[in-house]
Amino acid sequence: MVNQEKKIKILLAQFPLESHSRGLITVAGMLRDAGMEVILMGNARSEQIIKVAIQESADVVGISSYCGGELALGDELLSIADKEGIKDHTIFVLGGIFPPNNTPRLKEIGFNAVFPPSATKEEIVNNIKSAIAAK
Amino acid sequence: MSTHDADKIIGFDRSHGGIVRSETQAGIPLKAVYDCEDIAHMEYERDLADPGQYPYTRGIYPEMYRNKLWLKSFIVSYSTPEETNKAFKENIAAGQTGLRLLSDLPTQIGIEPDHPSAWNSMLCGGISSYALDTYERMLDGLPLENVDYELAHAGISSALLFYSFLVAIMEKRGLNIAKLRGSAINDPFRARIVYDCPDFPNEIARRICLDLIEFGAGNTPKWKSYAPNGVDPQQSGLDAIHEVAEVLGVATAVYSDLIKERGVNLDDIGATVFSMDAEADFFETIAKFRATRRMWAKIAKEKLGATTERAMSLRIGIRTSGLSLQTQKPLNNAARVTLQILSCVLGGVNSLDASSIDEAIGLPSKEARMFNLDAQHIVTHEANVPLVVDPLGGSYYVEWLTNEIEEGANKVLAEIEHRGGMWACLESGWLRGQIEQGRLKEQQEINKGKRLIVGMNAFQGEEGPINRAIKDTSYRVPSKKLRLETIAAIKRLRKTRDQQVVIGALKEVYRATKEARNVVRPVIEAAKTGATTGEVVGVIRMAYGYRYDPLGEVSMPSFINEVTRGEKGG
Repeated sequence: MVNQEKKIKILLAQFPLESHSRGLITVAGMLRDAGMEVILMGNARSEQIIKVAIQESADVVGISSYCGGELALGDELLSIADKEGIKDHTIFVLGGIFPPNNTPRLKEIGFNAVFPPSATKEEIVNNIKSAIAAK
Repeated sequence: MSTHDADKIIGFDRSHGGIVRSETQAGIPLKAVYDCEDIAHMEYERDLADPGQYPYTRGIYPEMYRNKLWLKSFIVSYSTPEETNKAFKENIAAGQTGLRLLSDLPTQIGIEPDHPSAWNSMLCGGISSYALDTYERMLDGLPLENVDYELAHAGISSALLFYSFLVAIMEKRGLNIAKLRGSAINDPFRARIVYDCPDFPNEIARRICLDLIEFGAGNTPKWKSYAPNGVDPQQSGLDAIHEVAEVLGVATAVYSDLIKERGVNLDDIGATVFSMDAEADFFETIAKFRATRRMWAKIAKEKLGATTERAMSLRIGIRTSGLSLQTQKPLNNAARVTLQILSCVLGGVNSLDASSIDEAIGLPSKEARMFNLDAQHIVTHEANVPLVVDPLGGSYYVEWLTNEIEEGANKVLAEIEHRGGMWACLESGWLRGQIEQGRLKEQQEINKGKRLIVGMNAFQGEEGPINRAIKDTSYRVPSKKLRLETIAAIKRLRKTRDQQVVIGALKEVYRATKEARNVVRPVIEAAKTGATTGEVVGVIRMAYGYRYDPLGEVSMPSFINEVTRGEKGG
């Protein structure tokens, strides 16, 4: 379990090539407001995201997705995380615009929390905190 | 339970749902009533004038929609050229009068489908138009003369390539390219501040944008090669006042370069088109269009030396706000879209691309798009709104608000000037900072309940079967098979085309770029040989000394050596 006293470190990224960055930047602001340390990575491929997550010892990896690649690339991301040995102690969350019935499938893939466009700041922050507590 | 409580529960409490703000969406403070005192300083001929008369506040044509309704246009783009072609034909039959073309995100920023970063967004939001034959299939059986085409893409390379594709197809069909109609956004500021497009660095984008305007003015006079864009900066965070300032600033910056560097005058170009946003605030949106027309007329005449009526009259093309649409209770989006359409018509716009009610959930379904068209037909034929020009002209409030927006935008423009002009503000990041500040302010208002959004932070309610049905119709993600087929197709193209002809054509693109000649004709010819988008982008970048791949992830194909050989001084 991650020490609750420590500042939560979250790496935020989008799978390339994503041009919808407003959601990610807005959420980054919300998480900073909630006292988390945010690393905003922008567009990055799965292997690059995992590499930075390891380098930065991120507690959480957050993905923003609008283009429809969330299932295929989400699966790839978590496979690489597994191979690199960080899946078990890192929280993976995903938000954005995607078909509502992809939510259960994303959880099956291994995302600890999935946020549709209606998610509020409180929901995002609380879900991340409780996912960390549950690990 | 007391009687008082019961009244509250069944909704008799009149204060429930009361007004929470007294300023417009952009923060202009409002009084409860406006009267003649508020516009006492105005002079009709100077500040308003009849429609069709300078400064065009009331509209650019004397009879506006009586003579010509606004262009009904929207993006119709599916994953394959064939699906898109079929949809174009169906929409034209349903009353659509302009075809708004889009490609998938990788193509829009100069990245080809077999690039390692392309997979995620490949075929999402449009076709992968990596070479001329994709456009030929998409436009098969569709007229290219006297139909309005709009190129709405993000990158400047897209404006260059897809304009070239349209011209190349016309020439291959034996048509007169002077009859090509429509517009391209081709806005180097939007490409940077909104999309941060990797295709061309600012210096290349700035030059190609001018090449397109210059070539268009000489060869396709009915085509607007440049439509400065306020929609996307506003959707990214700017308010209405900043949107007006930004779009006017962008237009002034590019046209000043054009006049100085190319000797092309505003009179040679004719009417200018701005693409602007229709936001949630109804009267502010109407006033914004009126103010922008008046401000542009003055800038064109006084700053840019326009002498013809056409060059001073601004056409406004609209994309209604996708940002204002909500996932929660999406049926409500029908009301939002309808109000935005109405504000556009009351504001005298010239073309309208309305967002779809399911747009917060996914790409629009066909039925949602038909609603957009039908809503416009209802505004026209049932509500009789367009029968009279500028019906709000003379309203104390609307005239006062139009003046306020002009004054506010002029203050922002003065600050931009003070900071060294638009290009300096782009390079320094100041423009991007404005967007971020606007976004933050908006988010704070929403969090504090100062801006109520029905279903989101107020009046949440329950969703029933109608709302659920709207959510269920969102688009399907392109299959893995379709993506692999697209990758195979571009590889096949590279193998089957006449490579020596391609090399020769790309050589000319490279030379023209290096020798500061207009690149548009060489790009049109390269397109005809089967040169791909990534190759054209790569060769232009190399002529400026940049690496071939905008993302620096793949190495240059070896044949590009032959393109650039002998051009580096031995």
